[in-house]
Amino acid sequence: MRVSYEWLNTMVDLPADPHTLVAEFVRTGTEVESMEDTGAALKNVVTGHVLEAVPHPDSDHMKVCKVDVGAKNVDADGNPVPLQIVCGAPNMRTGINVPVAMIGAVLPGDFKITRAKKRGVESCGMCCSGRELGLDGDHSGILELPEGTEPGQDFAQWAGIGDVILDCEMTPNRPDCLSMVGIATEVSAIFDEDTHIEHPQVREEVGPDAHDLVSVRIDDPEMCARYTARVVRNVKIGPSPEWLAKRVSAAGSRPINNVVDVTNYVMYLTGQPLHAFDLGKLSEVDGRRSIVVRAARDGETIQTLDGQERQLTPDTCLITDNGERPVALAGVMGGENSKIDEGTVDVLLESAVFQKGHISRTSRGLDLMSEASIRFERQVDPEGCALVADIAAALFEECCGAEVCPGTVDVYPGKAAPQAIRLRPERVRAVCGADIADELQLRYLTRLGCTVEPTFQAEHRGRKVDAYLVTPPSFRPDLTREADLVEEVLRLFGMAEVPSTIPGAANHIGGLTVDQRRMRLIDATMRACGLSETLNYVYCDHRDLARLGMSEEGRGIPVQLMNPLVADQSEMRRTLIPGLLRSVAYNKDHGVADVTLYEMGRVLFGKKGKQLPQEETYLAGVLSGASGVQEWNVRPHELDFFDAKGIVEQLLETLRITKVKFKPADPARYGWLQPGRAAELMTRDGQVLGWVGNIHPRALKAFGIDDAVVAFELPVARLLKLATDQLPFQDIPTLPGVAVDLAIVVDESVTAELMAQRLTSAGGKLLTSVHLADIYRDEQRVGVGKKSMTWNLVYRAADHTLTSDEVEKAHNKLVTKVCKSTGGEVRA
Amino acid sequence: MAIVDDLKTIEEEAAAGIAGAADLAQLDQIRVAVTGKKGSLTSVLRGMGQLSKEERPVVGKLANEVRGRVEAALEARKAELAALELEAKIAADAVDVTLPGRRPAVGHQHLIKEIMQEAEDFFTGLGYVVEDGPYVDTTYYNFTALNAPEDHPSRSARDTFYVVDPSKDDNELLEAGHNTDRLGISELLLRTQTSGVQVHHMEAHKPPIYMICPGTVFRPDTADANHLPQFNQIEGLVVDEGITFGDLKGTLDAFTKAMFGEERATRYRPHFFPFTEPSCEVDVSCGVCHGEGCSFCKHTGWLEILGAGMVDPNVLENCGIDSERYTGFAFGIGAERVAALRYDLPDLRMLVTGDMRFLEQF
Repeated sequence: MRVSYEWLNTMVDLPADPHTLVAEFVRTGTEVESMEDTGAALKNVVTGHVLEAVPHPDSDHMKVCKVDVGAKNVDADGNPVPLQIVCGAPNMRTGINVPVAMIGAVLPGDFKITRAKKRGVESCGMCCSGRELGLDGDHSGILELPEGTEPGQDFAQWAGIGDVILDCEMTPNRPDCLSMVGIATEVSAIFDEDTHIEHPQVREEVGPDAHDLVSVRIDDPEMCARYTARVVRNVKIGPSPEWLAKRVSAAGSRPINNVVDVTNYVMYLTGQPLHAFDLGKLSEVDGRRSIVVRAARDGETIQTLDGQERQLTPDTCLITDNGERPVALAGVMGGENSKIDEGTVDVLLESAVFQKGHISRTSRGLDLMSEASIRFERQVDPEGCALVADIAAALFEECCGAEVCPGTVDVYPGKAAPQAIRLRPERVRAVCGADIADELQLRYLTRLGCTVEPTFQAEHRGRKVDAYLVTPPSFRPDLTREADLVEEVLRLFGMAEVPSTIPGAANHIGGLTVDQRRMRLIDATMRACGLSETLNYVYCDHRDLARLGMSEEGRGIPVQLMNPLVADQSEMRRTLIPGLLRSVAYNKDHGVADVTLYEMGRVLFGKKGKQLPQEETYLAGVLSGASGVQEWNVRPHELDFFDAKGIVEQLLETLRITKVKFKPADPARYGWLQPGRAAELMTRDGQVLGWVGNIHPRALKAFGIDDAVVAFELPVARLLKLATDQLPFQDIPTLPGVAVDLAIVVDESVTAELMAQRLTSAGGKLLTSVHLADIYRDEQRVGVGKKSMTWNLVYRAADHTLTSDEVEKAHNKLVTKVCKSTGGEVRA
Repeated sequence: MAIVDDLKTIEEEAAAGIAGAADLAQLDQIRVAVTGKKGSLTSVLRGMGQLSKEERPVVGKLANEVRGRVEAALEARKAELAALELEAKIAADAVDVTLPGRRPAVGHQHLIKEIMQEAEDFFTGLGYVVEDGPYVDTTYYNFTALNAPEDHPSRSARDTFYVVDPSKDDNELLEAGHNTDRLGISELLLRTQTSGVQVHHMEAHKPPIYMICPGTVFRPDTADANHLPQFNQIEGLVVDEGITFGDLKGTLDAFTKAMFGEERATRYRPHFFPFTEPSCEVDVSCGVCHGEGCSFCKHTGWLEILGAGMVDPNVLENCGIDSERYTGFAFGIGAERVAALRYDLPDLRMLVTGDMRFLEQF
């Protein structure tokens, strides 16, 4: 809403400095998007009187002029000195009055006026045409000001074009502020002062009564709360008077003609959109021009006055003339067949209120937003319709030379009795936390247009308190409850005035839950393992699983968007891996070879026949490239399966999850992993706890990645369920252990897990530690298909220092047993 | 007495040898040569037997004195030499300390998560709990229970992602990018705000309620420098007896200072939200110009960061809470907005690409 300061000032007294009003608007909840000083462009433009204009010695069309600008140009003693200006305008001559842009002026189009020499003659300013001042398109010569215009006046002030326009953004609950009257009321409440709004009145009503000329019927009262119509005759269409054109332009509309401008002006003034029909173009029914308001029928069309053919639905409210022919899209746009044109003589003036939901859907559906639809969709006050029709009629009389017929046809099916609200000032104080006196509260509300009935007693928090009955004005549909009045009082009182307090914590405790703390621990562990966190889109491409080679089994059905923005974000993800692979590809494409990322985020599994999907949090990581850059003392290694596995193992240890086995992943079920370099995590009770492995080269290719990527993905809920804070404490051994290394050659098929198992069980009680120190392969020395594993074993007894005999005995037994059970041989 | 002379000679020679010993090994050689089992001094002492009864105590005393002095000299020289050797070793051990250190590879937390955890830490310190709810929710929890009118534009398919309802057969799929203004095309949606979590929480818990719900929300905004179709909100809710607008202010003043710095001021502007009444927007003073006005704050001196208000009585009643007895406040802040303000990010899309060069800066 564009608010003209000058216009508003005629309705309520404003502070001299517009910034004061802007600050008050911001304080009380009216957002001011911008403040535009329309006179600013004409700063340093003054009225001037041409004392002389003689031909330029070196030009056949330019003249050298002496222009009196009064006190705007003075000598050292303060005496006025005329300016010398070189001017090429054909109408320049001695004696005329002109606008003068002095040095320092910046005309529209960023045209800076500077001291200049024109063919050797100094020129100290410029006499301006209408176009140069941005007033009109006239550039045939300089603008001549009326005779007797005093030189040396500020031109914008002289021309009355100096105004400040505030562009105010209104919240959707304040339809009243989409009008100058509403804004003036708001200002009167802010500054606690009276408005002085005088509406024009019809001077003389002539001719037949409107009821004899027009009939109005509302077939769908749910769509139209009130319809009033007045008739004006013998309209003389022409340009608007200057004041009207100026106000309409200030409000943001281009002046068109007096009829259109009056309807726009009244809308900006009152917030009530009007529509003018050419009375003569409406069909007659029983000798009267007919208006029937009804819902459109399926398939019905109307040609709106912008020439477009519009397809309608039964949700659209339509104005028809005999009940059949559509003549306007109610509240949105008029019809081509009934519009005002050069030949219009008589006008039917519609001032009506249409239901906001229909208007909102119609204007959106047809992509037809207008000043009218914006107001209707926020709700227009039906109580005001008739008064607004009168104002418009009076202006038709004044500005269009029209004769106003007596009578207003008024159909008002939606009339509602005003609802009074019980206000307990004590409640206001209790909700605001501020000591706002009763009188002050009531004064704010009265200034906003509410009526207040005297006190009575009501209950508040077990006490009797004073209460009032407050009836809000009909133009404030947002005020229906005590809470709404609290807001009005608080915003006028000032939120800044409320003392800041913090609620006491006498009755509650808070903090993170155990699971929330453990999720932070997971984050910390990932970081400690060198992975950086990323947050990917939860949206995914519906082809992601297929690209990856991941089966849908166990992942439900996708959660599908009905209205996706882009095709590759049409579903919600069921695995974190595609998003992470895209990040890997992004990094590689941008020259970052080493990528170590993790994400802890949600995946969604839909279920057929079930409304809500299952939402789970997964943890996934990807590693690709080297373990770091080469340093003078650090040799990085290529990140491989064991880096990823090590991170998973570290995480399990941190969460104190024990006895998880890493089993070779079945290629039939893990199609996205490279066979032989992939493991499934299995808990003690046979639950799958996720996987770790190399992403299959085929899948990598599908995501545009050439390098190897190792990854893991674990369901967080299952991790949290298995996690414990601390394992039982084990006493630190005080007696020395005996370390023995065992190098044993076995077949490649013997796994590390199997070996460790056999060693542990063969070692008996005395074997307290089994650690794989090395694996060595050499066809000649070890044999084909064989490997040599070196194990560090520690023997220790809890109650005495072991003798070498005891150790030797235990170790020999272990070697014999292990070799037998694994087919291994001790390597010399 | 020859033996006395011998002792003197031994002592003199030992003293000279000790003083001249260049290292611990040489010194040890001297020790062995003088006081060792076959050392010169030891042999002298061994020869004591041949002395007369009278001479023996005299010579014995002298010999012990000599031994004591020699041993003391050995110890002293040993300490001296050890210090010298340590010094030499240290000198040889010196490195160029300007060479880069051997750093363990440590990962970084995503800056959005960091901001959310900061907020969690602030509010848990005030006794709040942290909640999160479902991404896919019903229109009831996302809109209706929050007092959003049935025809509110935010319900349109242009502002909300609707989701196929697998319990229904008549789901309609729109072509990507062909959004309409039609309202409520499904009962299921991707939450557009975390406020629904507050409703779930109020249904499950009686007051007093002190909770925040940081989480991801979804809206059909095309990704560009200033928008993402998915972003993160931190919303909070307090419902208790006697909660005032002053409590809202005090809490958010402290929160703002915790997030942006002690010196930052706040400004409360009345505003409109369907689920709060009264409602306000909260600005924080610009950190660049400190309220003077600059291009960062569009010359206002203030940066908008929060929406807040007293919980609308309708919302409380929708959740079965007596709105006469209980009052409350709610607020919401965008984590991306905080990030953008803190770090002056030129493009929000950096937050979702997983660019290591970006992530490792935080």
